[in-house]
Amino acid sequence: MRPCSLRPYLPTSALRRRAPVSRSYAVQAPGAPTLEIFNQHVKYLQKERAASNAEQSRKVDYIRDEVAQRLCERLLDIQRHFPSVLDLGANSLNIARALANPDHLTLSSHPTSAPNAPSAPDVTDPSKLLTSRISHLTCAETSPTLLHRDPEPQSSIPLELQLLYSLETLPYEPNTFDAVLSSLSIHWVNDLPSLLAQINSILKPDAPFLAAMMGGDSVFELRTSLQLADLERRGGVSPHVSPMADVRDIGGLLSKAGFKLLTVDVDDMVVEYPDTFALMMDLQAMGESNAILKSAGGLARLSRDVLLANESIYRQLHGEEGKEGIPATFRIIYMIAWKEGAGQGKPLPRGSGQLDLKDVLGGGDFKVS
Amino acid sequence: MSGRVRPIEKFAEAVGKCSVEAAAYGKCIVADYQSVHQDMCAKEFATLKDCYLKAAKKP
Repeated sequence: MRPCSLRPYLPTSALRRRAPVSRSYAVQAPGAPTLEIFNQHVKYLQKERAASNAEQSRKVDYIRDEVAQRLCERLLDIQRHFPSVLDLGANSLNIARALANPDHLTLSSHPTSAPNAPSAPDVTDPSKLLTSRISHLTCAETSPTLLHRDPEPQSSIPLELQLLYSLETLPYEPNTFDAVLSSLSIHWVNDLPSLLAQINSILKPDAPFLAAMMGGDSVFELRTSLQLADLERRGGVSPHVSPMADVRDIGGLLSKAGFKLLTVDVDDMVVEYPDTFALMMDLQAMGESNAILKSAGGLARLSRDVLLANESIYRQLHGEEGKEGIPATFRIIYMIAWKEGAGQGKPLPRGSGQLDLKDVLGGGDFKVS
Repeated sequence: MSGRVRPIEKFAEAVGKCSVEAAAYGKCIVADYQSVHQDMCAKEFATLKDCYLKAAKKP
């Protein structure tokens, strides 16, 4: 069977992309070699294809807009001024849009709800605060069509759109940014430890890194039902859903990259779809389809039989009683980490405690009754 | 791409007409999903596919 081609769906500029010429010294890096899991070129083509249908792409921005919104709320908690901020993996400028319209009035998703939207009657208007606190926002993205899909949102923050060849090597000088944001992009990075170390390097001392990424159990319903369908129809399992980092790993990765004062939390978003095909079409329109290296050659193509079986199994296994649609869980991991800097709170060294907690809290030894 | 119905949409519509057969097949799998093997529910799948093919043929 001939592997399917994305060619007819792509804008012509996407087909002309060349890798920038770069030479590196032959080095033998210590530690385990970097595993290539995702095919970066396939991911690029998927994003280009998704964004070339602007209307459809705007329709499926619901998760990205929501997550960008929640990420910006976290930024709001940090009371300081950011002269220069980087948005790493900007997708369709979702963070810039969320900053421009802090009460959910995004261009794409709710064009009609503008007049009667519930506006927060805060004394301190968050929009004014946030926009005045950021002086310059750099939006970096790998897919040009997605980046330039919408006109720049009207806000007082000067934006700079930047095209990166890959998210894995950042072309910035050390100590450049006062904050780095990233919303739903870094789950497609092969070498997450290296990327986090680079982010740590481009941040100024005592500057925060705020990110949201898809986590391990996202769309687990689809993953399990596809496995069952594959197993029953073809007698084996091939990866149809890309692997994702787990919540437990993130803390370790961040501290390994040199970050301090870590905060990691998880947010589950359950979205209801009419059927599995709608779910898969939406994932495709987001440019979030599977990009495992092995699936590139059409190895893991879904046949109609498997799709048919998958629809039935998904509905039986995960569908809820009395509901027409099927649920899909998106697990978003939010992280806030700080680069080490002077004047930052630090934990005391181990073993330096002078007081026994038992004396402070009262109580005593456990008694077996 | 706009203006034309995508094959996946036609497929989804046809499959949607076979909810009874789909439920039967799904139940067969879920009943013993710890030890699924190839063609475990071949009979149920054949019924489901027949229904789908019939539904897909109709103009």
